[in-house]
Amino acid sequence: MKKTTLMKKLLATTVAGIMVASLTACGSQAPAAPAAEAPKEEAPAAAPAAEAKEEAAAPAGDGVTLEFQQWWGVEMPDGALQEIVDGFTAQTGINISLLSNPYADTKTQIAAGASTGTMADVVGLDGSWVYDFAKQGAISNLSELMKADGYDDSQLSDQIKYNGDTYMIPVVNFAYPLYVNLDILEQAGVEKVPETWTEFLAACDKIKANTDAAAYCIPLNTEAPNGIQNQFMSWVWASGGNMLKDGKPGLTGNDTVTKTVELFKTMYDKKYLTDGVYALQEQDMVNEFENGRLAFMIDGVSHLTTITNESPDLKFTVAPQPKADGYTGKSGMDVACWGIGISGNSEHQAECMQFVEYMMSPEVNAKLAQIANAFPGNINANPDYSSNSELFLKAFDLWNTCYAINEFTGAPTSEDLMRSFNEELILYLDGDTATTDDMLANIQAAWEEAYN
Amino acid sequence: MVGRKKLWVKILVILILIIGTLWAGFPILWMMLNSFKPNAEIFAWPPVWISKSASFEAYIKIFHNPEQVRFFINSYVIAGIVVCLTLVVGIMASYAFSRFNFRGKEFINTVIVAVQAVPPITLLIPYLSLIVALKIYNTYWALVLTYLVFTLPYCILMTTGYFNTISRALDEAVMIDGGSRWYALWKVLVPTSIPGLVSVGMYTFMQAWNEYLFALTLTKTNEMRTVPVGINLLMGQHAYEWNQMMAMSVLGSLPILILFLFFQKYFIAGMTSGAVK
Amino acid sequence: MNTANQTAKIRKKITPYMYLMPTIVLMVILLVVPICMVIKFSMLDEAITSKAPSFVGIKNYVKVLTDKNFWNAAKNTMFFVLVSIVAHMVIGMVFAMVLNTRYLSSTTKGLCRVIFALPWMFTASVIAILWRLMMNPSGIINYLIVTLHLSPEGVDWLASRSVALIAVTIINIWSGYPFYMISMLAGLQGISTDMYEASALDGANGIRTFIHITLPSLKPILISLIMLDFVWTLQQFALIWMTTGGGPVGSTETIATYIYKQAFSKYKYSIASTAAVLLLIICIIIGIFYVRHQRSEE
Repeated sequence: MKKTTLMKKLLATTVAGIMVASLTACGSQAPAAPAAEAPKEEAPAAAPAAEAKEEAAAPAGDGVTLEFQQWWGVEMPDGALQEIVDGFTAQTGINISLLSNPYADTKTQIAAGASTGTMADVVGLDGSWVYDFAKQGAISNLSELMKADGYDDSQLSDQIKYNGDTYMIPVVNFAYPLYVNLDILEQAGVEKVPETWTEFLAACDKIKANTDAAAYCIPLNTEAPNGIQNQFMSWVWASGGNMLKDGKPGLTGNDTVTKTVELFKTMYDKKYLTDGVYALQEQDMVNEFENGRLAFMIDGVSHLTTITNESPDLKFTVAPQPKADGYTGKSGMDVACWGIGISGNSEHQAECMQFVEYMMSPEVNAKLAQIANAFPGNINANPDYSSNSELFLKAFDLWNTCYAINEFTGAPTSEDLMRSFNEELILYLDGDTATTDDMLANIQAAWEEAYN
Repeated sequence: MVGRKKLWVKILVILILIIGTLWAGFPILWMMLNSFKPNAEIFAWPPVWISKSASFEAYIKIFHNPEQVRFFINSYVIAGIVVCLTLVVGIMASYAFSRFNFRGKEFINTVIVAVQAVPPITLLIPYLSLIVALKIYNTYWALVLTYLVFTLPYCILMTTGYFNTISRALDEAVMIDGGSRWYALWKVLVPTSIPGLVSVGMYTFMQAWNEYLFALTLTKTNEMRTVPVGINLLMGQHAYEWNQMMAMSVLGSLPILILFLFFQKYFIAGMTSGAVK
Repeated sequence: MNTANQTAKIRKKITPYMYLMPTIVLMVILLVVPICMVIKFSMLDEAITSKAPSFVGIKNYVKVLTDKNFWNAAKNTMFFVLVSIVAHMVIGMVFAMVLNTRYLSSTTKGLCRVIFALPWMFTASVIAILWRLMMNPSGIINYLIVTLHLSPEGVDWLASRSVALIAVTIINIWSGYPFYMISMLAGLQGISTDMYEASALDGANGIRTFIHITLPSLKPILISLIMLDFVWTLQQFALIWMTTGGGPVGSTETIATYIYKQAFSKYKYSIASTAAVLLLIICIIIGIFYVRHQRSEE
């Protein structure tokens, strides 16, 4: 009797043990060839796995498969990106497997993948990530790859560099014009879209007095502090200002930035801003605009279609961003981009570069820009915007009168830079910091730490 | 006198029920209402209670998207396996903690409590390296094993608690009658603690069902991903599909609701099991 | 005979370990190993981001413990955790008791049990989105406040530096109490009705019955619940991150959001690991108390 008890117990424990072991074993037989890109120093098992992938790939002819991780597929119409990469497979026989996830998720995955070697071969990048990933050695030096290929990089509208070498190429660009709700302007008795800060504040005043709507909005939620880049710094750039000086923080004694802070202080004190801006995200701002509760916003052209679809009755237009009084020079227009880069761990650097070149080729680039409602990254690309909306064409004209600028692109820990600016701005708006100079000095100190 | 007091208690009970229903149910009701609205109406002021253009469009869209259906299947499979494994492994460990004194018991117990303390965010990168080294990256097993170790401490602590409320005399009686410990555990202790185990099992199910960070990072392709990742997939960089997100959450919680309804009887059945002592 | 005796002894000694074996194997491989890696990171300079990090001893600990942002986060975390636990427990217990009374029909009870447990069934990101929607300045909560004349103006729930922490705590209370409710309901079923009857015969009233019978019977479960809740609330991340991101100006910054910002925004994994190890130390202390308590119960 007692012996059987022991046997049973032993049996049970063994079963449990085997169960656990088999779980692990089953896992390793899974078809995904999982550890293929693991860096060798991290995972000793990586080498055999890589071989396994090689074997699995062999029967498919020259069929190398590259993984392309990005958030673009989520933003574009269903299947549009797939169609574009299929064109590449047809040309070269190299298969592309799309891994599309939302922007924030893609960032988390790439950040995690950068340190464990699970990053996809080709990745979609945001300009604000480049510095850190390049420094970490997670993404490849594209200057070298372009040189090896003899690629003519003069056709690229821009290249994002780290230590003098290119690590990211912007594929398409999204400009940030001023969105204007025409109904609110009419109701408030504002005759024309303001062009200077004085006219802008006068318009805000009328809107505040005559309507229930808010005049302007800047999302200041600390989760994604992009408001500093798109809804604050864009005012500085539009008036020809800069936040950096010789590539280093240049906030103290910066006239344009000081004036812009004052502009926001006025807007905040006179309650021109949407209620509760400290907790709003960019998405909330757009929702306010769609519901006719916001007169002006600075927002990406990519939102044009969404807004038109969701609020078909809304009468709105896009316009140039108001400039500081007395500034007559050319305006800088805030730009965000979908950039492309190559994983430092990819076994197929040359094939990856081939794919990048395909995405940047004039025809493909033009098509991508047209579908994504964006402006091309190849200067020779001529997108056929005839099927895009009138407003989009207006934005495109605006874009051509401005120069593209985004000083957060390629900056170290840019998200953190924006966040510290965000916090100091709130402290100043709330009156906790006495003067603009104090505020800018605080931010300058925080930024310099990141640049060292 | 007694009657009046009873009435007073009854009124109090009903009052709590009403407040409780509002507190717990209103946000959910609001979410359900929103899932039927077109996107623009969700932010309307004054709020639109029931949309004139109410439709099941959001729900239909989900069912017509094979990728989203796949998320649901993955979630069921993973959560189901996790619950079974957690309960089996956890019950055995709880039995040891509840009925034995052994060397190292306190140490192991402390470790079990403490390991939960490390925020998953910091564990993410070492953990990911480990999963890659075990060659289970982007498989069900990566998620199953992860959730298993994350739910085990909870399961062990709670089950030990439930076992401790059951008198040792009960299983000792079984053993005196000639039954083995193994038999006492599965045929006496476990059946007696069913209400507790059901609640542990359901909580485990929900943990596995709702986890997001690891579901995102330990898998690579959408074929392996679960409902919470699917919900986030609806949050684009520029536009949120609010109504689909809400619809997916409502659908996502349905199976849990059904499970809960199904196991309700265990909460009531326990009431009369006064024999437990 | 003698050997048989000895085998029996050894068998008795190893039995508990055999029951524990699967747990130990799993936890050591999948939790203890990564945790040790985190501890290692906390003593390196530029862990992960640099190919050859250097050992710096306790320098990171000094850095974290002298960072005023860390202490602000610690203070907020303390408020968040304590208020959440107390509220969870009170609400959970009241609901469990109400759902366990004899005054209600079983249909009402069944229905309410489901409704009360609803918040339990949603993933954190959905809860965050839902409450952000409701706590929006022009959201439903402010609408109700204004239309019911509770206040002439809505409340800046998440945007005000003085209210935001309370607002996220409310969200956390909402999402967490069902855990207590369900576990206590389950625990209440284990209490023998004989004991209640005996107490009723003694002429004890409801409150006395509760204090002398219900509470002591629930105590083992309650202690486990509180401890688990403490550990979980301490690292609650998704809810806070997706509603306020720790802002405005750090007013809802908790240790979990602090760690996230260090790791994924500043790319300082070493500092993030250090803060995580500090949390680990706190929880080890709590764990020791818990285990001591368990022992004294026996």
